[in-house]
Amino acid sequence: MSLDTAFMGQVFKLTLQGVPVTLKIVLVALIISLPIGFLFALIRIYQVKVLSPLVRLYVSFVRGTPIIAQILIVYSAFPSFLAQFIGKTAFNIDPIIYAYIVFALNSVATLTEVFRSALQTVDKGQLEAGLLVGMTPAQTFLRVILPQALISALPNITNTTLYLIKNSSLAFIMSVKDITAVAKTQAAFSYNFLEAYLVVWVYYLVIAYVAEFLFSTLTHYFSRYLVAEPNKNWFQRLFSFRQPNTAVTNTQAKRAQFIAKEVNHVNN
Amino acid sequence: MLTISHLKKRFGQRTILEDIDLTVHQGDVITLIGPSGSGKTTFLRIITTLEQADGGHIQFAGIDKDFADLTKRDIQTIRRNVGFVFQNYNLFNNKTVLQNVTEGLIVAQKRSKAAAKAIAVSALAKVGLADFQDYYPSQLSGGQAQRVGIARAIALNPKVIFFDEPTSALDPELVTDVLQVMRQLAAEGMTMVVITHQMSFARDVSNQVIFMADGHVIEKGQPSQLFTTPKVSRTKQFLAEILATV
Amino acid sequence: MKELSLILQFVQQILPAIWITLLISVISIGIGTIFGFLLAWGKMSRLKSVRWLTSIYVSVIRATPAIIMIFIVYYGLPFLFKGWFHLNIEGWQRMYFVIIALTLLFSAPVAEIMRSAYLAVPKGQQEAGLLVGMTKFQVFYRILLPQAFVIALPNFANSVINLLKEGALTFTIGVVDMVAKAQMIVSNNSGGFAFETYGALALIYWVISLAIDKFVSSAEKAYRRKRQTIDGSREAV
Repeated sequence: MSLDTAFMGQVFKLTLQGVPVTLKIVLVALIISLPIGFLFALIRIYQVKVLSPLVRLYVSFVRGTPIIAQILIVYSAFPSFLAQFIGKTAFNIDPIIYAYIVFALNSVATLTEVFRSALQTVDKGQLEAGLLVGMTPAQTFLRVILPQALISALPNITNTTLYLIKNSSLAFIMSVKDITAVAKTQAAFSYNFLEAYLVVWVYYLVIAYVAEFLFSTLTHYFSRYLVAEPNKNWFQRLFSFRQPNTAVTNTQAKRAQFIAKEVNHVNN
Repeated sequence: MLTISHLKKRFGQRTILEDIDLTVHQGDVITLIGPSGSGKTTFLRIITTLEQADGGHIQFAGIDKDFADLTKRDIQTIRRNVGFVFQNYNLFNNKTVLQNVTEGLIVAQKRSKAAAKAIAVSALAKVGLADFQDYYPSQLSGGQAQRVGIARAIALNPKVIFFDEPTSALDPELVTDVLQVMRQLAAEGMTMVVITHQMSFARDVSNQVIFMADGHVIEKGQPSQLFTTPKVSRTKQFLAEILATV
Repeated sequence: MKELSLILQFVQQILPAIWITLLISVISIGIGTIFGFLLAWGKMSRLKSVRWLTSIYVSVIRATPAIIMIFIVYYGLPFLFKGWFHLNIEGWQRMYFVIIALTLLFSAPVAEIMRSAYLAVPKGQQEAGLLVGMTKFQVFYRILLPQAFVIALPNFANSVINLLKEGALTFTIGVVDMVAKAQMIVSNNSGGFAFETYGALALIYWVISLAIDKFVSSAEKAYRRKRQTIDGSREAV
């Protein structure tokens, strides 16, 4: 009883075609969801009427339901939507479009919370100091608060990206030919399921670790002003696990409301 | 130069400040003393528009209005004519020491980068931190950070600088450096309003001391008078307590 | 309105399968928590090799997609058992494999949550405990654990909800859970009302997640309130 290594080598080569597809899904979803997530976070913080509760509901729904349910909903609902509005039949649409939509919609919810908590962790004193050197609230926001918030959001953006990479393994359900889909087809021919999935596993680990390393380097570079962050060696950088931290404390929430009020105060 | 009259502040049912008056002349060094919770900090934060008043009048930098009538433009005018030194420094974490000082000069006062840098360098030299231009706030000790805070305020060349307990977050051995810088500023004729628990500073440097408690001004006067022959028993008691603990 | 009654009708049809989801979740949470506790312990071990091993385990799990984990366990475990113990476990209930996979997935974040919560309790608490004469274990059990527990609570709830959602992939190895049930309903309707059916499915999960959130946040609030009165009375003195 042993693993069929020849088959594994073959699968390894074949699944390579799936890698660009997986990466494409992750990147496109990320590029779409980052700005929208940021916008949604602002809507929540400034408590924009009507929109804020809607965003809240949306975030709660996405966070509270499995990605598989979201996939099934989008995959079953969008064809008829599209048929109604564009008149184009759903069959002509590249399934990867659905993948973009589902995963972007999913990440938007996470990123909303990520940006919200990041903006709220910036100390209120930073805004006050900005105002009292004569900057307007908007200037202070752009030059002082936003840069600090984005940097403190980086670890959680890394986490979101990891989730995206992992979730993208479900794209095969929408008949997208990603890594998992290619391996699945190969395995189905020969019944060597274990071998095929071990190969796929390695691919995901490699992708996840490369992403993790890139983000960690980025974080390291941008947070050079935070001396408190000790230099980590490569082992710690790869294998340290950052707990997503989107729980917002009471004082942070108050701080955010203060900032929101100040900015509104002048922008009105 | 700055006159505040009948200032009121409430928080829910509670009165934080009741009928406070303050007159600051060019070159004055005024110290505010009093137990914690007496409303001193809130008072400074209202004058500098960080908080809103529930009543009162301000006369400053060409503005002569009730606090309630201040427009956005007035608020901006006030902010651009005051300096503020925070208890916990509030240096911009993402900017170097030099950038902390130039930020307001470049963005708010629209000075050229070169001009801003020249001003900043001389302000930093004045607080003894000329060599720290490229440090980030997280690399500074509390005393250094607070001196950067002072440099940031004086570089703006404000009409008056407010100090909100500038040394109370510092370790005792770091207090002296900061006080030294403040004494020097006072000697140069800078107009200052200082909340402090450093009675020696209040006594030696200021030309007026205001004692506040429970949102009221209890007593004000020259330090020579207030520290030696306070008229109100409440002042006497406070001074006795604070001097006993020093 | 017709939409809504349709969705409710599908909820009724899917709901009987909920016990599978709940059973799988509860067992995985139970075993996963114990396993996570051991891992957290390992991560703080004095032995460097133990720290390395647990760190690598936690990190690898974190980078592993849930579906791959389920497949690897489903196909890999019988392979290992056959090779090592000459046991055939292919006849096991498929649910067991899902439980094992979810337990492995759950233990990693839980280990990290426990560790960081433990580290978040100020060191002075332990020192104070030792200096009033308690043993190390008493300090851990009576002083550190209750404090770490509250710190860990929100993130723990998050992980539980994640586990619940990952458990929705149970259907991929042929267990008839709520997702499988929903798919059957759709195919019985020849693809009709798919949106409503899957909407009903999502709704059920949403309600469970909200209930978990609500439960944990009220538990946290109750605990914090108890402590606040102590602080408040001290302030009044």
